[in-house]
Amino acid sequence: MARFLTRETLLKWAPLLVLIALIAFFSIINPNFLSVRNFARLFTNASPALMVAIGVTFIILMGSIDLSMEGAVSALAVIFCYVLLWLGGTIAGFGFLAIPAILLLGAIVGAINGLIHVHLRIPSFMSSLAMGFVGTGAAILMTGGNIVKINDETFRALLTERVFGFPLMVYVALFFLILGSIILSHTKVGRNFYAVGGGEDLAHASGVNVKRVRVWAFALAGFYFSIAALLQVAKLGQAESVTGSNLMFISITSVVVGGVALWGGIGGVWNALVGVLIVSVINNGMIVIGIPDFIQDGVLGIMVIIAVILSTDRRTVAFVK
Amino acid sequence: MSTFIKDYIEREKLSRRNFLFATAAGLTSAAIPGAFGGGAAMADAGGWALAWSYRDRASAYWNAIVSGGEAYTESLGLKKDAMTNLINEGSSEKSLADIKAFLAKNNGKAAIACDANDSPNARPVAEAVKKAGGYISTIWNKTDDLHPWDIGDNYVAHLSWSGEKPSEEAANILIKAMGGEGAIVHLGGIPANIPAIERLNGLKNAIKKNPKVQLLDSQPADWDTTKAAALMSNYLTKYGNKIKGVHCANDNMAYGVLQALKAEGINLPVTAFDGNPEAVDMVMKGELLATVFTNPHWGGGIALGLAHQAALGKFKPSEEPKAHREFYGPSILVTKADADAFKKKYLDSTPKYDWTDRWGLSAGQIEYK
Repeated sequence: MARFLTRETLLKWAPLLVLIALIAFFSIINPNFLSVRNFARLFTNASPALMVAIGVTFIILMGSIDLSMEGAVSALAVIFCYVLLWLGGTIAGFGFLAIPAILLLGAIVGAINGLIHVHLRIPSFMSSLAMGFVGTGAAILMTGGNIVKINDETFRALLTERVFGFPLMVYVALFFLILGSIILSHTKVGRNFYAVGGGEDLAHASGVNVKRVRVWAFALAGFYFSIAALLQVAKLGQAESVTGSNLMFISITSVVVGGVALWGGIGGVWNALVGVLIVSVINNGMIVIGIPDFIQDGVLGIMVIIAVILSTDRRTVAFVK
Repeated sequence: MSTFIKDYIEREKLSRRNFLFATAAGLTSAAIPGAFGGGAAMADAGGWALAWSYRDRASAYWNAIVSGGEAYTESLGLKKDAMTNLINEGSSEKSLADIKAFLAKNNGKAAIACDANDSPNARPVAEAVKKAGGYISTIWNKTDDLHPWDIGDNYVAHLSWSGEKPSEEAANILIKAMGGEGAIVHLGGIPANIPAIERLNGLKNAIKKNPKVQLLDSQPADWDTTKAAALMSNYLTKYGNKIKGVHCANDNMAYGVLQALKAEGINLPVTAFDGNPEAVDMVMKGELLATVFTNPHWGGGIALGLAHQAALGKFKPSEEPKAHREFYGPSILVTKADADAFKKKYLDSTPKYDWTDRWGLSAGQIEYK
């Protein structure tokens, strides 16, 4: 028994323990919290943020950061709606082509983001932030500030159809979560993300084409942002220039709370999942147990700090910058 | 070195420097009007340059405001781009700097309409315009202690919209649809925003007059669709089927609420605020019970029109009653019964307004509590 309770094991599972503790805490105060219906609501609202968090996990694993998510999701959501409407407005017809088109576009946008970062030698936070602004600007330009509505019941089935009490979009998110996990553990490029994050010079000396790995990571992140855009449209039935707003805070916070190290090399998509759930459970739980609205932001901030303290092993870190 | 040579060199240096300064100044002053697109349009607006200073282009609301300003400009026989857009991107500093630059470029001969972005910024903006000899009208944001008549004729008017009364009317329709009893949840805007506070107060007033109705909860969703969808689903967990009606402080949040309800297959009466085209369509389809239209097109046009007409001397602000210097814009409640007629009149084609009927649509003098 003692063998399993080493410090490393505890730290590895700490984010999950924090999540379980939070769920237990909110459930005791309001039993409604622990119901299939509430978890369906929680997962539905968290799905787009989870996709963004997974996307940015690939980048953070390399010790870089991608801040283009808000603009990228807005622009991709808007483009998806326009393409879908142009192809007949329903995915029951030719409109379904809009889905692969937008996934491809997401990957291309991500790759451009990566190429700018790698070849122009601009720090990733700056190049991706700038690309994010370009995305928001493009979304404003395309919509002229208006909302694009999608009323296709077939596409909206992602939200309205349920299997075992959960909307279909939750299963889509689950699928891409598992895919992300496979990419990280079973593909060369995925394992190279860890190599670059663990020590870029070492990876380079071992023959890893670091530049190419970086571009791959950004393309993959862009691909996941486009899934987030699809799920946002499925959830809200519309796209506009602010569709991606707020995703930056929740995704970066989640990744860190879930135990992915910002300095790279440690963590994975399951950490991102646990992190997204911790932040969503805190947000959902505060309203369910009735914390006054004017202190909710403060409580969220404090709980995030506590979650980070509990879930990251700072003893292994030489310094924090 | 002799003093003569020293003085000589010193003098030469100075005159060379002065020459450089003079050249730079000359080039700049010659280049600036060119860079801004020339002052050719100015002469056509009676010698006054026109500008609208506002937040951004990312919402239907501000686009409607701007369309009003452009309609006014076109009513003068000018092209709509004769009106300059000063976009402050939510920064008060940029708002003030843009306006000062516009005044300087036109030697003060500018008629400006402006939302100062936040209330304290309205005073420096108005004072800058007065100092330069321009004319300005403001909308929405100004502090309660700042009044156009205290600044003088250059601060022509301030226009705002009361959220309380129309919000109460929307709430009354909601309560009627609930059969006069049951519990309501409210989704509010950013907590410190004046319209958010007023719209919640309107709901509270309606509930006071209906003892069988209670307000279950009111939380902010920051005017945002995504946040509103999450908040509504959290309300459903907390209150379940106790909720009989939903009151939203704007249209965007109502869209999120409707989607959260759709996900669960629940049908509840929902009211909104703003009267955006999408919301009016939803009212027509019966998805939304009511919304409130504030006619931003007229507001945007008349704010610019008042500043310009005062500049031209068509009326003297100080001779007007206070109700003409600080007034509320119109609010129209849109329900299913009148949505069709409303859409035809206001959205399908923009009505042509007589901009010389300056206070025709005013809903009375602004009241302070």
